[in-house]
Amino acid sequence: MRLARIATWTCALAVVLLAGATVARADAAPSASAGELKGALAAAPTTSTLANGDPGGTLTGTVNDVPVGDAKAGLTLGDVGNQVGQNKIAINFVWTLVTGFLVMFMQAGFAMVEAGLCRVKNANHTYMMNFFVYACGLFAYWIIGFAIQMGGAAGNGNLGGLQSLNTEHMLTLFGTHWGIFGECGMFLARSTYDVGVMVIFLFEMVFMDTALTIVTGAAAERWKFLAFAVSSVLMGAFTYPLYGNWAWGGGWLSQLGVNMGLGKGYCDFAGSGVVHAVGGMTALAVAMIVGPRIGKFNRDGSSNAIIGHDISAVLIGCFILAFGWFGFNPGSTLGASAAGNLRIGSIAVDTMLAGCTGTFGALLYMWAMKGKPDASMSGNGLLAGLVAITAPSGFVSTSGAAIIGFVAGVLVCFSVVFVENFLKVDDPVGAISVHGTCGLWGVLSVGLFADGTSNYGGSWNGVTGSVTGLFYGDASQLVAQIVGIATLVGFVFTFSFVLNWILDIILGQRVSIETEVAGLDLPEMGQLGYPEFIFRAEPDFIQAADRAAVAVA
Amino acid sequence: MAATKSQGKDLTLFMAGLTAVCAGIAFSSSGAGKVALVLGAVGVAVALWGFFKIKPLEGKTGGGAQPAVMKLIGVAVVLLGWLTVLFGLHLTASVGGRMMTSIIGLAISLAGIFFVLAPAVSKHAVWKA
Repeated sequence: MRLARIATWTCALAVVLLAGATVARADAAPSASAGELKGALAAAPTTSTLANGDPGGTLTGTVNDVPVGDAKAGLTLGDVGNQVGQNKIAINFVWTLVTGFLVMFMQAGFAMVEAGLCRVKNANHTYMMNFFVYACGLFAYWIIGFAIQMGGAAGNGNLGGLQSLNTEHMLTLFGTHWGIFGECGMFLARSTYDVGVMVIFLFEMVFMDTALTIVTGAAAERWKFLAFAVSSVLMGAFTYPLYGNWAWGGGWLSQLGVNMGLGKGYCDFAGSGVVHAVGGMTALAVAMIVGPRIGKFNRDGSSNAIIGHDISAVLIGCFILAFGWFGFNPGSTLGASAAGNLRIGSIAVDTMLAGCTGTFGALLYMWAMKGKPDASMSGNGLLAGLVAITAPSGFVSTSGAAIIGFVAGVLVCFSVVFVENFLKVDDPVGAISVHGTCGLWGVLSVGLFADGTSNYGGSWNGVTGSVTGLFYGDASQLVAQIVGIATLVGFVFTFSFVLNWILDIILGQRVSIETEVAGLDLPEMGQLGYPEFIFRAEPDFIQAADRAAVAVA
Repeated sequence: MAATKSQGKDLTLFMAGLTAVCAGIAFSSSGAGKVALVLGAVGVAVALWGFFKIKPLEGKTGGGAQPAVMKLIGVAVVLLGWLTVLFGLHLTASVGGRMMTSIIGLAISLAGIFFVLAPAVSKHAVWKA
C-alpha cells in the first residue's frame, strides 16, 4: 500500500516536472529566435568592413538591410516577416512591369509588319496609325476602359491584393449573379491611386493596345485617319474592356465554373481570346465596313495579290513581336514569387516552341502546296503559333504547345484564303486570320490540351483544382471555352460591327477614290513615307482598276 | 477631301467631350461632376455633328453603298447565335447537352457572318461594277 502511494506521488511529480519543462521550452522558443536575430546582427559585416568593397558579393545584403520598425526594440521577427512580404510583392511588381515594357515594345513590331505588307504609297499612313493607336488606346483606357475591365478585380495576392478595385456591376439571372462591368478606377483617381493598381494598369493597358493595333492592319491602305482615331478610342474605352472584364476582371465568363460547374470557368491565360480574337473580330468587322482596296478583286470575283513594299521590315517586325511575346505570356502570371508562379519557365518555353512550330506549319504548307517557302506567310505562321499559344501557355505541356502552334501555322494559310476568296474581305496583312482565327483556336485548345498540372495557388477563377482539358479528362472545360468563343463571334464581332457602322454613317470610314489611288501618305498625312525615292509603277491590273475607279468617281 | 483642319478641330472637341463625360461619370456624386457630364455630352454631340457635316466633302469612295436591311438581318442572326448559347446553358445541366447547344449557337453566329453579312457588305461593291 505504501509502495503504491510512493509510486503515485512519483508519477504525479514526474507529470508536473514534464509539464513544466514543456512550458519552459515553449517560452524559450521566441527568445531563441530573438537570440538568433541578435547573433545574425552581430555577425553582419560592419560599415568599415564594407568600406573595403565586396567583390565577391558575399557581404552585401544582410540582416542589417532589414528596416527596423521600432528603433528601441531593435530588429524583431515582425520586421523580418514584413520584409519577406514586401520582397515577394516587389519581385512581382518588377516582373509584371518589365514584362509589360516588353509588350509595349511589340507596337514597334506591329508597325513594321503592317507597314511592310502595305504598298509604299501608304507607308507613312500605316506607320502613323500604329503610332497614334498607342496614344488613343492609352488615353481611352485611362479615362474609362480600365475601370470597366478591372474595376471589380480585387483579390490578386501577387500584387498586394488590389483591394481598391472592389466594385463589379452584377446582373442576377436565373438565380445566379453575373459580373458585367467594373465600376471603379476611372482616371486612376481616389482609392485607385495605389501602387498595385498602377502596376496592373500598365500591364493591362499594353495588352489592350495590342488588340487595337490589330485592326489597323486589316483596314490599312483605305481607312480614313479620322475614322481610325475615333474607332480606336471607342474600342479602347468600351469594346476591349467589356470582354476583358468578362474574362479577366471577375465577369460572367470567368464565373462559368463557380456558377454553372463548367471546368474552372472560361480560361484565357494571356489573351488569345481577350486580346487577339477581340482584335481579330473587330478587324473583320471594320474590314467588312470599309470594303476591299481598289484592284483587290476582279469583276468575276477572283482576287489579285497586292504585294507589300518591304519584306525585311515584315520579318524583323515578326522577330520583335516574338521577343515581346516573352513579356506577353510569362508576364501574365502577374508575378514570379507565389504559388505556381515558377511555371514562368514552362510558359516561356511553350511560347517559343509554338512560334517555332507555327513557322514550320505555314512555311511547309506554302512550300509543299504553292512551290515556294513564302516569306510573309512564314512570318504570319510564326505569329499564328504565338497567338494560339497565348491562352493555353499557362496550362499545357511542351508537346501540347508544339501541336497547338503547328495547327495554327497551317490554319492561318487556310484562313487567309477563306477570308479573301469566300468572304471577299480584303485584309492586307492577314490580321483577321492570324489574330482572329488563330486566337479562337488558342481559346479552344485550352479546353483540349490543358494537362491539369498547373497550380496557381490551388485554384483558378475561384474553382479548386488545376485547369484540365478534354484530352486529360474534363469535357466541361471545353464547354466553357466554346461559350467564350461564341461570345467573341456573337457579341464582340456584332458590337464592333454596329459601332463602326454607326461611325461610317456619321463620319465615313473610307477615304475617297482619288486619295486611295494617289496613296494615303500625301492626302491624309501630308508627307510621303520615303520622299527621296523614286518608285516603280504599280502592276497593270492595279493601274487599270485605279483608272476605272477614278472614272466612276 | 483627305485630312483637313475641320477634322482636327472636331476630333479635339470629341476627345475633350469624351474626357468630360467620363470625368462626370467618375465624380457624378458632386455638382461639378454633373456639370462636366452635361458639358461633355454636348461637346461629343457637337463634334459628331461636325463630323457628319464635313463627311460629304470626302467625295465618292471605293466602298460603295450596301443594303442596310440585309446588314441588319446579318447582325440579328449573329446575335441570335450568341443568345442561343447563353440560354442553352440553362436548358440542361449535362455537359454533353450544353456542348451541343453551344456548338449550335456558335454555328448560327458563324452562318450569320459567312452567309448573310459578308454577301451584304459586298452586294454593291465597286469591283462588281
